[in-house]
Amino acid sequence: MSATTYDQLHTLYRTLLVFATVGAIILSVGLVQFVYFERPGEETGVKARIVGVYEYNLATMKTTGPDRSEFPRSDVFAAVVDWSSVPSQLVVDARWYDTFGSMRGEVGPGHATDLSGQSVVPVEVPPDLHFVLPGRYTFVVERLDATGVPVEVLARRFVLVDRS
Amino acid sequence: MITSTTPPAADPESALRPRRYGIAFAVAALVVLALIASSILNYVYLDTIPGRASLYGLLAVASITLGTYILVRAFDRDPATRRNHLIRAGVLIGLGVLLWLLVIDVFLYTQSAGPGVAAVCALACLPTTAFGLLVVRRMDRNHKEPWRLVLVAAAWGAIVATSLVVWAETVWEVSAQRALVPGPGLDTSLAFMAGTLEELAKGLAVVLLFLVMRSEFDDVVDGIVYGAAVGMGFNFMESVSYMTNLYSIFAPEHQGGIAAGVQWYNRQVLGLFFGHATYTAYIGAGVGIARQLPTLRQKILAIVAGFMVAIAGHFSWDAWVNLFPIPNTLFGIVAIHLRTLVMTGPFTAGLIALLIFGIRYEGQNLVDQMRKEAATGAGAILPQEVPVLASPWRRLRQRTQAFQRVGLRGYFDVSRLQTAQLDLAMERWHRERKEIDTPLEAEQRLRERVIQLRHWVRAS
Repeated sequence: MSATTYDQLHTLYRTLLVFATVGAIILSVGLVQFVYFERPGEETGVKARIVGVYEYNLATMKTTGPDRSEFPRSDVFAAVVDWSSVPSQLVVDARWYDTFGSMRGEVGPGHATDLSGQSVVPVEVPPDLHFVLPGRYTFVVERLDATGVPVEVLARRFVLVDRS
Repeated sequence: MITSTTPPAADPESALRPRRYGIAFAVAALVVLALIASSILNYVYLDTIPGRASLYGLLAVASITLGTYILVRAFDRDPATRRNHLIRAGVLIGLGVLLWLLVIDVFLYTQSAGPGVAAVCALACLPTTAFGLLVVRRMDRNHKEPWRLVLVAAAWGAIVATSLVVWAETVWEVSAQRALVPGPGLDTSLAFMAGTLEELAKGLAVVLLFLVMRSEFDDVVDGIVYGAAVGMGFNFMESVSYMTNLYSIFAPEHQGGIAAGVQWYNRQVLGLFFGHATYTAYIGAGVGIARQLPTLRQKILAIVAGFMVAIAGHFSWDAWVNLFPIPNTLFGIVAIHLRTLVMTGPFTAGLIALLIFGIRYEGQNLVDQMRKEAATGAGAILPQEVPVLASPWRRLRQRTQAFQRVGLRGYFDVSRLQTAQLDLAMERWHRERKEIDTPLEAEQRLRERVIQLRHWVRAS
């Protein structure tokens, strides 16, 4: 400590205002990023049809049982998409996202007619693991723009995977 | 004839004191309303176990909120009635903690890894958080904050702030997942959610401390200490929650312990000072600077600026952390540390700059006031004591010498004397700047206390 003859509080105040300006720039960049991926005016009104989510047999690569929204973690499951419900000129894909937002299975991208042979979209078990991760899964059918960025969700389905 | 006079205040025209209690009451009422609204929304729309837990947990949160308020106010009361207020506060906080533990237990038992794992995770986080709080409190080299307020700040961060955000974030997250395209857009939205809601919830605790305990909230350094304490409390609860959650997810793969351990290292070692503590300390810095600014416009601007930096720092981590992928090789260990250093390091460095500058500013002004007090000849601070009081190391040496002479009692007597002398210098500083509304008699009482303590030190 040593004696002071002038008030340094305003230096602290101005420094904080400079930091806040940097903060405002960071948040603005974030806002631009959000608008880039969530573009306004991209609604086409098209709705894709998800037939259902079923238990999936990895050996036969076929779905079994009834349409369900909840699975034990020992089960592998798959969504079935009716690609004929999507206009053929649109570039689309279908994806599974796990509870952490990581992609766990994908079909496409391509025109709906090209994907007609891939109506079953199974969820993937993460590498090095034996079971799918528990939590809330999101399945989406998305429309992509010319640059390959998903811009609209045409159909969405949530599935809960139990912990046990 | 008996005449009564109102003791002169430092700033006689100040009407801030009753107004700020009104603001504190309004903020507290808003917090409670927000808790009620979001928990009912959760219960009605989600109908999940966390939704029910949040509703049942309301009583616990309300008890802790009211209890901590009574606790901090108790020390402003007359010593004769203080005991009753402390008992009331203790009962309410105890009840709240028990209820909360019950809710958490039920929640963890049904949703996550179970109470045993939760207890181990909490025990693992306790020493690191305690170390963090110790370091943060010691940062205030000239005038340390009372432990009770530092712990209250941490408890608010751990219990009240986390409760507020759990409900608000659930509503935001579910709404965003139903409306947005999964991927970077959704991730950015969730980063805005975490940055805004979590910093607002944590910042409320700092603002309430500022409004209710002005006498213990002196300047930017105090603000940084309280803000960091709130952040560490929040980080503690979040660490326990993430560790138990990941344990339960990876336990069937026999990787539960590793997942929880990695999470502990990330949050309790790497992120102990870099994460929540840094962000919320900025809010504290803003409030602390506002404490000493002369005009209402500048005060508001400083507080908003603190929130802005905190939200931006938190947002940048959540939104852009995936830009630094961690390779699945040995270099991954280095990459984890580099990522924290690159992304949060600049914010922490800025905060350290504010802290160092604040300590220097506070120290210079305290020396100035100590010299002025010594010059009055009142005997509370002697001219030869000023250089000792000005240096933390020389203060420590003086206490150690007392310990060698008289033992532990001597050490604590000298410590109390030094604290009282620094309190007096701080009071004088605020009075000179017209920043306090306590009467001049309060300063005289401090002076008398110093003289009384000096007698005790001499006697021992």
